[in-house]
Amino acid sequence: MQKNIKIITEYWGRIDPLKIEDYLNVGGYVALKKFIKEMNPGKALEEVKLSGLCGRGGAGFLTGKKWEMVAEQKSKEKYFICNLDESEPGVYKDRLIAENSPHLLLEGIIISTLTIGAKKACIYLNGNYEKAREILGQAISQALENNLLGKKILGSEFSLEVEIFSGAGAYVCGEETALINSIEGRRGEPKIRPPYPTECGLFGKPTAVNNAETIANIPYIIQNGGEKYLECATKLFVLGGSIKNRGVIEAPIGLMMREVIFELGGGMSAGKEFWFAQVGGAAGKLYLEKELDAPVLGSGAILVVDKLADIHDLLLSWTGFFRRESCGKCVPCREGTFRLNEIAERLADGEISDRDKEAVLDILWTLENTTFCPLGKFAAVAVRDAVEKLEILK
Amino acid sequence: MQKGITVEKILLECESKAQNLLPTLKKIGVVFGYVSKEDAMKVAEYFELSLARVYEVASFYDLIETKKTANLEIKVCSGGDCVLGDSTGIVHEIENYFRIKAGDENNPKVKLRKISCLGRCGEGPIMIVNGRVYEKVTRSSIYKILEEWA
Ligand SMILES: Cc1cc2nc3c(=O)[nH]c(=O)nc-3n(C[C@H](O)[C@H](O)[C@H](O)COP(=O)(O)O)c2cc1C
Ligand code: SF4
Ligand code: FES
Repeated sequence: MQKNIKIITEYWGRIDPLKIEDYLNVGGYVALKKFIKEMNPGKALEEVKLSGLCGRGGAGFLTGKKWEMVAEQKSKEKYFICNLDESEPGVYKDRLIAENSPHLLLEGIIISTLTIGAKKACIYLNGNYEKAREILGQAISQALENNLLGKKILGSEFSLEVEIFSGAGAYVCGEETALINSIEGRRGEPKIRPPYPTECGLFGKPTAVNNAETIANIPYIIQNGGEKYLECATKLFVLGGSIKNRGVIEAPIGLMMREVIFELGGGMSAGKEFWFAQVGGAAGKLYLEKELDAPVLGSGAILVVDKLADIHDLLLSWTGFFRRESCGKCVPCREGTFRLNEIAERLADGEISDRDKEAVLDILWTLENTTFCPLGKFAAVAVRDAVEKLEILK
Repeated sequence: MQKGITVEKILLECESKAQNLLPTLKKIGVVFGYVSKEDAMKVAEYFELSLARVYEVASFYDLIETKKTANLEIKVCSGGDCVLGDSTGIVHEIENYFRIKAGDENNPKVKLRKISCLGRCGEGPIMIVNGRVYEKVTRSSIYKILEEWA
């Protein structure tokens, strides 16, 4: 494995994100040109399937497989959506992609959309990401001026429109069916699946939804081939908490948590002692020191917690988050997240009763087994681990 | 508030299709601070949707207010990273200073809210006062910030 290859962050801070010329000078849009002149959607799909690329939005679904499902649909109208909602606490890698390499992302979106046979793409952008909105907007105008977008791209028969849709602050809108509801002007509540968006998505048409980081890998795959990518695939990690090198880093996929924290991350910040790490945002599991020899899962966020941290503050942070962000559609999650947060408040105030302790286990089970969408299950993860591994109720 | 802009003007600028509903409500929020019942009725009429449909969308999203905002709107990030940086302490400090409780929506002068992560964790703890974002806030630095808005 090549240890130092950078697919996404190579030019961060080295080229001006506001200038398309800078991106063109370092080989930007070469993949799109190759796609148009030497390939076709079928061939591109083969390469993406070969690459083994899987989703970076959390669930890890194979991108090639998803695209094939949309490409096979007979419908004339199809959509591609770049999921840049990124509301998971502790995760801001997609924002940095948009701000530092907007054209890389846009090139990925263009190739992805054409590959699945769509003519319209939408970027669903986190409502707080104002700077990213400006930068992406400018990138789209520049791509239009350079005929990399719009009608008859580079003189070919391909045409494509890309729109930005800004969200308005709702974590659940990162879930793809809720996201689609939100664009259609409804409450961002998840919908029952099946039918999956690949069949019946935006405006009822077949739709592929991909995370921004997933998409940023596409130009490399098209330019260098799926097999090459298989050898050198990378992942963005977001390091936070009591760790020396806080921020976003790109490293080979499949690294162990221990390597990421103690090598790439530089280990603990001065004077701090490792207690546990939360991996994957507020919905992430907790890992003790002895459990760190496993690959990093999920969105790539690692929050390192030191021994002096106040666990009650963190419990209030997690349970408060899910209480606010529960969309309210189903009772187990709406009530469960609310009660869990109340109990966390009593725990913090030293007023927890035996009845509360029993209730926690009941609520966790209910969240894990009966909620309508994954958000409810997410709400139980960290608290479950805190109960079992950190013994907060003892 | 921007001068000369009315809800009618905002509405006329956009095509009446459901896809434009959320962006329009957001715009009204930006210009007037919140979406009032009267405004929601105008929006419903323009988009030919029921008032319930407009209101259920307006009330769903954090970035759209449906109640008149307070003179001082303070939000403190309560994501895990900011919390490890003492954002809970900052919330307590503000609660004690103004003698208010985070989450109390009924005080017309000051409102304090704990909010979800803003994706600026590297620069945390994050505090927002009347829309302006402050980074690396501490218990003691809040006083200077609040002075700016006094
Ligand atoms: C509650 C919830 C929140 C989610 N938030 C995001 C998000 O912010 N960004 C994202 O890319 N995917 C998010 N997802 C996953 C999406 O539903 C979807 O699986 C993903 O965008 C697919 O892209 P990928 O295959 O490229 O990972 C979320 C899922 C759930 C259940
Ligand atoms: S689990 Fe929570 S977020 Fe998901 S549908 Fe039910 S209430 Fe909404
Ligand atoms: S945790 Fe506060 S900005 Fe992310």
